[in-house]
Amino acid sequence: MWSKIRKGNPIFKLFLWIYAIISVYPLVWMLFYSLKDNNEIFVTNPFGFPTNLRFENYTSAISQFNVPKYFMNSVFVTVITVVGTIVLAVMFAYSAARLRWRGKTIAQMYIVIGMFVPVQVIMIPLAILVRDFNLTNTYSSLIIPYIAFNISFSSMVFYGFFRTIPNELEESACLDGANIYQTFYKIMLPLVKPSIATMVIFVFLAAWNEYPIALMLISDEALKTLPLGLQFFQGQFTTNWGAMGAAMTIASLPTVLVYILFSEQVEKAMTVGSAVKG
Amino acid sequence: MNKFLGNKTAILLFTLPTIVLFTIIVMWPTMQVFYRSMFDWDGLSAGKFIFLDNYKRLFEDRLFYTSLKNGIIFAIMLAVLQIGIGTVLALTISNKKIRGRKFLRVSYFIPVVLSVTVVCQLWLAMYNGEYGLINKIFETLGIPYRQDWLSNGKTAIYAVAAVNAWQNMGYHFALLLAAANSIPEQYLEAAKIDGAEKWKAHWKVTIPLMAETYKFCFVLAITGGLNAFANMQIMTGGGPGTDTYTLTYMMYRSAFRVGEFGYGTTAAAFLVIQCLIVTFAINKLIARDRIVY
Repeated sequence: MWSKIRKGNPIFKLFLWIYAIISVYPLVWMLFYSLKDNNEIFVTNPFGFPTNLRFENYTSAISQFNVPKYFMNSVFVTVITVVGTIVLAVMFAYSAARLRWRGKTIAQMYIVIGMFVPVQVIMIPLAILVRDFNLTNTYSSLIIPYIAFNISFSSMVFYGFFRTIPNELEESACLDGANIYQTFYKIMLPLVKPSIATMVIFVFLAAWNEYPIALMLISDEALKTLPLGLQFFQGQFTTNWGAMGAAMTIASLPTVLVYILFSEQVEKAMTVGSAVKG
Repeated sequence: MNKFLGNKTAILLFTLPTIVLFTIIVMWPTMQVFYRSMFDWDGLSAGKFIFLDNYKRLFEDRLFYTSLKNGIIFAIMLAVLQIGIGTVLALTISNKKIRGRKFLRVSYFIPVVLSVTVVCQLWLAMYNGEYGLINKIFETLGIPYRQDWLSNGKTAIYAVAAVNAWQNMGYHFALLLAAANSIPEQYLEAAKIDGAEKWKAHWKVTIPLMAETYKFCFVLAITGGLNAFANMQIMTGGGPGTDTYTLTYMMYRSAFRVGEFGYGTTAAAFLVIQCLIVTFAINKLIARDRIVY
C-alpha cells in the first residue's frame, strides 16, 4: 500500500510531461521557424527541426528592422531602472527599519500601498502628468515610473531583511566611531547582499518586459523598447515569418538566459512577494 | 545611540527621495483617477465637474457590460486553468522520486520570463487561420477543424485568455510548489498511514495547509483577469468588433483614442473598486485562522 502511493499515479506523471510539451513546444517552434524560410514553415516542414539553418533571418531582422535600436533602448532603460530602484529602496528600507524617527511605520505602510495599485488603472493620470512635466517621448518618462512602481515591492523585501539584523552591530559601529553613512555602507549593505541580488533579478525582469507604460508614453520610434517595438510586427512581417521569429528570439534571449543560469534565484525572486500580498 | 540612529540629515536623505517619487508617480495619479472620474474632461482643459454623470453613463453603456463580461470570463479562465493545472503539477512534482524534476520545473516557468509582446506575437502565429501551428496540428491529425480563432467573435475572448493562462501558469505552479514543499512530511505520511489514498490525502491535508498561497493565487488570477489589457491590445485590438473589450481596454480607448479622459477614468475607478471587492471576498472566503501548523 505504502509503496504504491510513493510511486505515484502514472496518469499524473504522464500529465507532467504532456504539460511540459504544451509549455515549451511553442517556444521551440518559434526558435525553429526563426531558422526557416516561409515555404518550410508553411508547407514542407511546419513542426520539426529546420532542414537548412537559415541564419540570414537573424541578419535581416537586425539590418532591416529596428531591432538593435529597440534592444539598446531596453538595455539602457532597464539598467537605469534597476540601479535607481535598488539604491532608493535600500536607503528607504534602511531608514524605515533601523533609524529612529516618528512615523516610520506609517511611511513604510504608505509605500507598500503601491503594490496594490495596478499600473493599467492609473494610466490616464500618469500620461497627463508626464505630459505636464514635458517628459513625453523621453527615456525619463519610462525610467521614472518604472522606478516608482518597483520601489514598493523592493523596499518591502529589504525592510524585512533589515529587521532581522541584531542591534548590536550598529551599537558597536557607533562605539568604534563610525558615522551613520559608514555604518550603512560598510556594515549593513554587505549583510543584505543576497536580497539585493534577488531584487536585481526581479526588477530586471519587470523592466525588460514592461509594456503598458511604454505603449502610453512612447511614440517616438527612436525611443521604443523591445516590447513596444515588436508589437506591430505581425503586420510588417507577414511576408517574412523567419525574420519575425528571429527578432522575437533576440528579444527573449536576455531574460531566458538569466532564467536558465539562475533558475532558482529567479523563481525565488518572482515568488517572494506571495507571503505579503495575499 | 539615539543621536546616532536619529540623525535627521541621514533620515531625510534616505527617506525623502522615495517618498516624493512615490507620491508624485503613484499616489497622486491614483487619487486623480477617482477625482477625475467625476469630470467631463478631454485631458487638455480644466474639465467640467459633473459629479456622478459619468457613472450613470457607464451603467447605461452596452460596451461596459461587454467589457465587464469579458473581464469575468478572463478572470475565471485564468483562475481555473492556472490554479487547476498548477495544483496538479505542483502536487505531482513535489514527490521527490519523479525523474526530470529540474527540467520539468524549468519548462513550466520559462514562459513567465518572456515579454507579453513576444508571447502574443507567437500566439498570433499559432492561431493564424492559414499557417498557424494549431490549425496545422488539426490538419496533420486529419481533423477538419481549421478556423481563424481570433476573428470569431465567440471564441476570440477565450483564445486571448488562453494565451495569458499559458504564459503565467508557471508562476502559479512555482508558488504552489513552494507552498507544498514547505509542508512537513509527517502530515502527509500520517494521512497515508491512516490509509488515505494519495489524492485524497492531498485534498484533505496538503491543500488546506496551502490556503494562504491559494488566497494569493486567486487574488492574482482574478484581479489579473479583470485588469487584462496587453493581450487584447496586441492580439485583437478589442475586436472582432468589440468582442474582446475589457474595462482596462475600454478605459484606454476612451482616453487615448476618443479623448474622453474623464469617462476613461470612470471605467478605471470602477475597476479599482471591483478588484478591492474581489480581494476582500477572497480573503473572507478562504479563512486565515483555521490553519495551524
